[in-house]
Amino acid sequence: MSRPTPSPIYTLRGASGPFNTLHFSCHGGDTPLLFSGSGKGAIHMWNLNTRRADRIIEGHSGSSVIWVSALPSTDTLISQGRDMRVCLWDLSKGSNELMDSLTTGSVGFCQCSLLETGQRTCLLAFGGQQTEELKIVELPSKTLVCSLVPDSKLGLVMCVKLWQPQSGRGPLLLAGYEDGSLLLWDITQRSILSQAKVHPDPVMCLTFDTEILRGISASSDNILSSWILDGQNNLQEAGYTLSWLPANRRSLNGFVFHGLEEGMKSYGNKHSKCSQNCNRMKNVVTGPKLCDSHQPRHFPDEY
Amino acid sequence: MAPSRVSSSIVSVHTGQDGNNRHPAFGQTVPESAQFKVEMSSNTTIRLLTVAVMPPTMALISDPKIAFAYLRPACVLLIREATFNNVETLNAQLKEVDDATLQQLQEYILFPLRFVLKVPGPKKDKLVQAVVEAMNHVLGNTCIQSWQILRELFSELFLCLCSPDNPGKPADTSEELKLAVLGGLDALLHAAYGDIVFKFFESKMLPELGAGISLLLTLAEKEKSRHVQRSGRLLGMLWLHSYPELQWRLPGSLQEMSDKATESQLGPSRFGPRLLASSWKMLSFSQASKDWVKNTSEKLCTLLKKIISSTAAHQHWRVRLELLELAEHLLDTCSQSLGKCVGLLLEALVGAINDEEPIVKKRCEVALKKASKKNQMPVNMENSKCTNSSQTFTDILSENLHSLATSLPRLMRTSDDQNKMFVLNVFLGYLKLLGPLVSVVLNSAVHLERISKALMQVLELDVADVRIVEERGHGGSLETSSGSHHSKHIRRKHFLHFTDEKIFFVLTEICRTFGYYGNVFLLTDLFLDLYRQSSAYRKQAAMVLNEIIRGAAGIAVVANGQRSEGKANVVPLSQEDLKAAVMLVMEEYFSSDHWHLVTVNEETHRDRQDRLLLRPPILLSISNAHADPLQFGTFACASSPTSTVHQLNSNIWQLCIQLEGVACFAQALGDNFRPLLMTSLYPVLEKAGEETLLISQAALDSMWDISKACGYFSLKELINENSDYLLNDISLNLQRLSQHPQAPRVLAVMLNHSDCTLLPLVRDIIQDVLMALDLSYDHTASLFCSVLHALMKALVRWFPMTSNTTKDSMRFKQTSTDKEVFDVRQFLLDYRRQKELAEGIGIEEDDIDELEIPPQAVFEEDDDASGPDVKAELPTHLSITKDVMERCIHLLSDSNLCLRLKVLDVLELCVSVLSEKEDELLPMTHRCWPALVQRLTADDPLAVLRAFRVLCTLSRTCGDFLRRRVSKEILPKLSSSLVHQAPISTKAGPVYTHTLAYKLQLAVLEGLGSLCQSLDLAEADLDVVCEACLPYLSCKQPIRLQQACLSVFHHLIQVDPDSFWLTLNELYCPSSFIPPHPDLQPMRLSGMGRPRDEYSDNVLTLLREEFGQSGDE
Repeated sequence: MSRPTPSPIYTLRGASGPFNTLHFSCHGGDTPLLFSGSGKGAIHMWNLNTRRADRIIEGHSGSSVIWVSALPSTDTLISQGRDMRVCLWDLSKGSNELMDSLTTGSVGFCQCSLLETGQRTCLLAFGGQQTEELKIVELPSKTLVCSLVPDSKLGLVMCVKLWQPQSGRGPLLLAGYEDGSLLLWDITQRSILSQAKVHPDPVMCLTFDTEILRGISASSDNILSSWILDGQNNLQEAGYTLSWLPANRRSLNGFVFHGLEEGMKSYGNKHSKCSQNCNRMKNVVTGPKLCDSHQPRHFPDEY
Repeated sequence: MAPSRVSSSIVSVHTGQDGNNRHPAFGQTVPESAQFKVEMSSNTTIRLLTVAVMPPTMALISDPKIAFAYLRPACVLLIREATFNNVETLNAQLKEVDDATLQQLQEYILFPLRFVLKVPGPKKDKLVQAVVEAMNHVLGNTCIQSWQILRELFSELFLCLCSPDNPGKPADTSEELKLAVLGGLDALLHAAYGDIVFKFFESKMLPELGAGISLLLTLAEKEKSRHVQRSGRLLGMLWLHSYPELQWRLPGSLQEMSDKATESQLGPSRFGPRLLASSWKMLSFSQASKDWVKNTSEKLCTLLKKIISSTAAHQHWRVRLELLELAEHLLDTCSQSLGKCVGLLLEALVGAINDEEPIVKKRCEVALKKASKKNQMPVNMENSKCTNSSQTFTDILSENLHSLATSLPRLMRTSDDQNKMFVLNVFLGYLKLLGPLVSVVLNSAVHLERISKALMQVLELDVADVRIVEERGHGGSLETSSGSHHSKHIRRKHFLHFTDEKIFFVLTEICRTFGYYGNVFLLTDLFLDLYRQSSAYRKQAAMVLNEIIRGAAGIAVVANGQRSEGKANVVPLSQEDLKAAVMLVMEEYFSSDHWHLVTVNEETHRDRQDRLLLRPPILLSISNAHADPLQFGTFACASSPTSTVHQLNSNIWQLCIQLEGVACFAQALGDNFRPLLMTSLYPVLEKAGEETLLISQAALDSMWDISKACGYFSLKELINENSDYLLNDISLNLQRLSQHPQAPRVLAVMLNHSDCTLLPLVRDIIQDVLMALDLSYDHTASLFCSVLHALMKALVRWFPMTSNTTKDSMRFKQTSTDKEVFDVRQFLLDYRRQKELAEGIGIEEDDIDELEIPPQAVFEEDDDASGPDVKAELPTHLSITKDVMERCIHLLSDSNLCLRLKVLDVLELCVSVLSEKEDELLPMTHRCWPALVQRLTADDPLAVLRAFRVLCTLSRTCGDFLRRRVSKEILPKLSSSLVHQAPISTKAGPVYTHTLAYKLQLAVLEGLGSLCQSLDLAEADLDVVCEACLPYLSCKQPIRLQQACLSVFHHLIQVDPDSFWLTLNELYCPSSFIPPHPDLQPMRLSGMGRPRDEYSDNVLTLLREEFGQSGDE
């Protein structure tokens, strides 16, 4: 018998639209923050002490905001909207000034992936203008590092994950495609290291733990699939498949494993809770995210 | 004074070194004096001279030569003839000479005066007195530079005091003389210039001085108070520099003094302190053997005790002031020799801290400030002696505190209020005196334990009052405070051990002082422990905690000196620390065990059942595991047998105190309390919805204090600004209603105090409520119903009706025109036309249109404007109302009467809100009609009554819509039941009024009239009503039925005055109507000429009240 679901600590209300994306920012300043991007184009900066929205940024001219992230080292917020733009916001000095923006050209809803490479520089991966195209640019200079297009037809890029392996080689990139394939790219070599077809349907989202090299992806057929990356950088299916509720197909981002088997279980729990909330509120819940500081707090996101 | 004396001290060429009593001017230079004699031998010349010298403006003589010339004759005369008159003459003349001149001539003038005193043989008192007074004048305005003269004058004056036979005893002279001599001595000692006064205290002076002092002492012992005062001052001056050899006499004589002091009342009491002060001063200077000092101080100690005990609580404030000054003085100057007495003196000093007399209080504050500063200063000083002394001082203080704390409960039980007050003031004074050292004292576990227990015992509340539990309100729901104005409710706490409110104030100040100086975390931990430990201490501990926090924030603390200065030795308390402490305490307050207390004695059976059912089995086991059922939430309902009035009262008070606490914390933190509203506002609102009046008032007060402290202008602002916090908790708790049955109540309170800006946010919650209601109709309905009621009430308030007044005003106009001057001609014309129409003559289509279309057309136009098919989205409040009304339909047939009644109320409110939009209201009315009919025709009388009210509200808006239904479905049933019951109630005895049938009759009759009127029923229906009601006009009916029936007729007459005039007159007609013209036929009414019967009285009443018709005798 499953335990009764715990009640949420607090429900953040008042954003007049469904949330697409969340990002915690709990280090740095003294106030823990949560950024949210709504379907109506607003980015809310929630102060988790007062539990109220400190600032609301209307940045994507009303189009849905599909991804937000913060660069803790530079006090910069990055947001991606369906208006095919990625915007950088300067949050310092209490202002929310648009610092810079770049056009992705992608009409899809592939969320960007960010990797900090230096004190002030970072890499940003996003879907490009062409169908299979993946682009990686360096910020803040906006110079194009590379453009990755696989030889075979895999359909649109659905989700990406950029990370720096501990082995010391250049950054790697995991990308899920429309046909259900998962590709591991080496950015410096601009080559595919491994390829696996983990789903028969489009990979809607994926998450990957860079320490234990284990990941989960979800597809539109309501199946979760788990896979690992072996020492030779080969993608192997771990054998787990799990059916899940279809309400939120793009929700695995930021999920953090705390163990191997337990990881799955805790996911299951969290997920069911989330979906319950979702049913109750008749809203699309876009996914649980753990606070960066690994506090046991958890904020389901509703409006 | 001093400068003039210095400037005039150049004088005195004559130092009197020769030791000769003779003044040079008189003795040595005879030729010179002869020369003067020659010059001014006659009185006339003197007078002339006087005229010449004295300026007309009475200015003082400032030229020594002139002064000499002016005074000389009188002096000479005095030596020759020692008479009273001569002395007086000189005395008067002296007053015309200025000080400087007087100084130059001092010895010359004193000589004749002293001469008079020295002449052997008895003298008249009057003469001596005049002489001494003259000397007083000179001494008072000059200074003496010669030791010789000082000494001589001293002994000469003393000789005047003692009896000629026995120098040790005072002379048997007049009071005035003694007073004058004492004044003279006083002036003499003051006049002594520079160091010469110290020669008094050289050893060779000892005998003389000793004799003097002993004489003064005797005098002081025997004589009346004015002497005593004078001599006391003298003594003080003398002893100030006196010798150990003399001091042996001291304790004994003081003993006698104090006896006097305690015997008599005012005077000596005032004097006592002064005398003591000088004695102590002397002691501290003394160089005598330690044994002696010890001995003496012991004796003085007992004396001090006596004086303090007799004067400390003295009625006259001057006495208390003297004592205070004594204590201050002694502590200030003689702290080394005081030894054991320091404690006593401190007590005396400290006891005046809250004196009623502001002068004493102010003086005391100054003194305490000084003392505590002095006491704290040496900590930083090198001087080990000083440190030592301050150490002992602190020790004494803390020891006193400890012993006082030990005896406090006993004193509180036994002594009277005045004494209690004093004791507590002393306690407070110690704390203030200790200042920052309080925290050091509190670090001692023994002290802490003592003090906390004492406070717990002293602050025990008396919870026996039954009224506390019985007072019920409808929670905060009745009070909708919109403005910023709020008058606080007064809740007097009743204590077991004292009644005076002032005592409580002192106690709270003590707590605040603890908080101010002590370590807040230590204190809160301690008292929180006590709070948790036992329910017996809980209320007191909460009171103490509240005040400690307030004190820690520096609120209402009269501290000695500046805070920064006073806190120099203590780690300063940051806002963060204070906040942490507050959070700690609040968490404890709000914990379910201490917040959800049982305060209601009798729950209805149904309620209890509800709660049992509400509770899931898991919870049941949890609550059973709990030790104390009373301390558990209201939903743990094992309450009834164990919950005595005392316990309930105790719970109520505990909640009140905790609510006050939240307000205190808000005050302490000010704006910084705002983040804490997240956790604290909900619980407070929860209590504002409580049924127990005391609690809901306390909660409301608390809310006001919070909003003030946090800078909100009103409760509305407080709630609106923090609605997100509140709604979060509400929505969360609505999911788990079984654990949080108060959630709907909080929402209700919130709605009550807010405005329509809340609506968008609330909307979701309302949906939650309705959904929760749908899911569990059986158990939670009554809870939800109160929320719905609050909601609808709020909606009615937020959206006052505007559009539906049209119908009312139309009808109103109609009736009002009826009452205007009656135009017979027009009436007859109209009547004829109507008659013709009825017979089918002259019907024209447009006439009918004209008559009937216009009112309808208005409505249709409205509908057209909004478009035939496109339905605009309903405003939020209307759609909510519709949803609520939907639920009401189901709940109308609930088996619980209370619930049905509540639902009817809600329904009524729904109708008035929805009346704004008729095309929404009518379908809803249609849907709830069947259920409503049941309430009207086959329910409890109470329900019938309310259902009538709903019906009336309905009929006001959609009268046409209802008319047929009412006349078809309701009127027949009601009227037949009325007709059926009428004969029964006529014959019934007094018990009948307790039956259900009676109540039903009454309810129907009470509602029927207004119903008929608001529905504008047709004539046939009115007849039916009239028929059914007529039997109740009988005076044999129970009186209330008659009254109700009268009300029906009042309404009926409003609808159709003519027909009912006729009906009534046919029953009984008191007057005969004579036609105004013989051509007209005489009027015959069946009621005319009838003998008075059972109906006559009521008919007459109606005719008189409605038509102004009274019988023509």
